[in-house]
Amino acid sequence: MSIIEAAPSDRLEQSKIAKLMAVAEELQVPDARFFEVMAHAPGYAEALFDAMYKAHAEGNVDHKLKEIIRIQLCRLAKDSYFSSLRSKRAMEQGLTEDLIESGCSEAFETDPRFTEAEKWALRYAYQMYRNPQLVKSKEFYDEGKRHWPEAAIMEIGGLCAIYYGMAVFFSTLKLKPNQS
Amino acid sequence: MIDEGIDNFEDSDAFSDAEKAALRYSHLMHKDPDKIDDKFYEDLKKYYSAEEIVELGSFIGFNIGYHTFFGTLDFYPMFSPTGELVDQEESRRIYGDVPVSHIKGGAVKRASKSKIDA
Repeated sequence: MSIIEAAPSDRLEQSKIAKLMAVAEELQVPDARFFEVMAHAPGYAEALFDAMYKAHAEGNVDHKLKEIIRIQLCRLAKDSYFSSLRSKRAMEQGLTEDLIESGCSEAFETDPRFTEAEKWALRYAYQMYRNPQLVKSKEFYDEGKRHWPEAAIMEIGGLCAIYYGMAVFFSTLKLKPNQS
Repeated sequence: MIDEGIDNFEDSDAFSDAEKAALRYSHLMHKDPDKIDDKFYEDLKKYYSAEEIVELGSFIGFNIGYHTFFGTLDFYPMFSPTGELVDQEESRRIYGDVPVSHIKGGAVKRASKSKIDA
């Protein structure tokens, strides 16, 4: 029995949520389970999915890098739901489980498969919720600006914020993905 | 009431049991999410519907995520607690480097002094 049961099917069938579920199919992040829970509050489901999708699937930062960051932070939040999901698009673009493992631990620092810009982005996410005081420094952001335009830094920061926050909430619901 | 809701909600007479449950939900989600177990949710369901719990949980999670990120960006409110438009340097002086109570932390007092000095 789930902590939060699936919302009534008529809510899931509401035109806006049904459309969002179709959009989510492309990445398979999130899957239908997310909408079953969030459809209890349809306005929140729509707004949060929109923000999550834009942060994850749109913008100028490489989607594979953002997928690693997303999984890294969902693991930190101990959320087995979001950390189990994999972006179909990122995997089709060549992302591997081995690269995800490296990016989710401090091994990325010495992994030659990551560029210096990617290492900074992974470090940014890694430290954001473990040691935010380390990130909150001119030196840290100055280094980031040597690798990324400010718009990209905001894009990465926004991704971290929305996914970490939602993963903390979902970790308490003890959800599992619908798909294998 | 803000200070009471942050520092003393469990023992406060200012909040209903339902409000205390919501404040506890927020406090634990940030400080110790492992303590939000099935029993905790059973208690929360005495006061809130599934819709309200999803609303509360999403709101709290969103705020945990975004305010930690914003905190690293080192920017401050445009207005003082007394409603004066202030520059970022002055705002940092009023509010301080880390989040604190406007009363106990002195932001209201510093903002008033800033207004007099101006």
